[in-house]
Amino acid sequence: MIPFSVTFKAGIPIYEQVIYAVKKAIVSGRLQEGDPFPSVREMSKELRINPNTAQKIVTLLVQEKLIEIKPGIGSIVSKLGNATEEQRHTILNTEAEKLVIEARRLSIKKGELIEAIQNHWGKGK
Amino acid sequence: MEYVITTEQLTKRFGKQVAINNLTLNIPTGCIFAFLGPNGAGKTTTIKALMNILSPNAGTSTVFGVDSRKLSPTEFAQIGYVSENQELPLWMKTGYFLNYCKSFYPTWDDGFCQQLLKQFDIPLDKKLKSLSRGMRMKAALVSSLAYRPKLLVLDEPFSGLDPLVREEFVSGILEVTETENWTIFISSHDVDEVERLADRVGIIDKGALMVNENIEELQCRFRWVEVTLGEAPAGAVSFPAEWLAAEQKGRAVRFVDTQYQEDAGQQRIRSLLPACTDIAAQGMSLREIFVVLAKQFKQSNS
Repeated sequence: MIPFSVTFKAGIPIYEQVIYAVKKAIVSGRLQEGDPFPSVREMSKELRINPNTAQKIVTLLVQEKLIEIKPGIGSIVSKLGNATEEQRHTILNTEAEKLVIEARRLSIKKGELIEAIQNHWGKGK
Repeated sequence: MEYVITTEQLTKRFGKQVAINNLTLNIPTGCIFAFLGPNGAGKTTTIKALMNILSPNAGTSTVFGVDSRKLSPTEFAQIGYVSENQELPLWMKTGYFLNYCKSFYPTWDDGFCQQLLKQFDIPLDKKLKSLSRGMRMKAALVSSLAYRPKLLVLDEPFSGLDPLVREEFVSGILEVTETENWTIFISSHDVDEVERLADRVGIIDKGALMVNENIEELQCRFRWVEVTLGEAPAGAVSFPAEWLAAEQKGRAVRFVDTQYQEDAGQQRIRSLLPACTDIAAQGMSLREIFVVLAKQFKQSNS
């Protein structure tokens, strides 16, 4: 069994969906620092995805410092590190702006959006 | 890039019927290639020409860099081939059949064969004749995987198999990907089954290749787009060629953008439809892309 679940949706690249699922599992505590992370082979077989895609997922997760490869052991989940300036900027400006624009387009009230954010924040910890 | 399979203007006719028409197709080593197309599109004919079962009327094809018409046992020993309507020696018991196959392949791996038999739950002491269709296909797959081929060719492997057997089949296929420089060529009309598995897709219709591309790239450039216009246009709106299935009704315009890009795509839509007030772009599944392309192809042919 692999320690996170993915329900694949059409039209979004597979690797993005899996990386999102991994992040969600880490944030919700289902995957914790030091936990073993599945190998390329396990992921490919369990999720029935292309091994090249599974390889890409591992490479990207290592790049984002979410997992690290321990020679002889395999991959483990890293400590949730401090975000780089660039990552903070992406969330606080770019992503927040997108969210606000979408919300206003759909005439969602500011209070409602903040409440929703607070709800999700609570789920993440 | 290294190619395991190439075809160059391959053409095969059966009487007046053109089965494949000037097909040029390159498949890089190390990928899982899904060869998709409706029934009668020319998938099996292409595979048979590649495997030297049929000889083409024009053009050439190569496998492992060797002309298909000159393939020798050296190459065949590295190719696994399972076809939907493969003829098996039905009078043989499964164990006997596998032993018989083993004698042809120097790289036959007994341990791996045992592992697959266990995984697939295949009885060794029954005649192939008495096995179900699913079991027989699994036995055929074991006989083609056990020597860890560098190229696995599967012609409609999933048709007529129940979901559980399909799942087993896929995990069996993924077992060979441990082999170095493996390549898998799967033909199917079942788009959903191969969507996650393949990293490259070729779409063929009426013997001609419509797409040969990395799946991720393909999915990145195809979007269902719905545009809302500020006011309904007076005359007919003209659409660029890369917008397929384009329709306009009142203030709504709907089309499939085949060259979509995150920001530049939106800008381009705005410049072509200046009255637009809202753009909603949605990703598409491989099945949806396939259907749109097939319809387009039908239209442009008639």
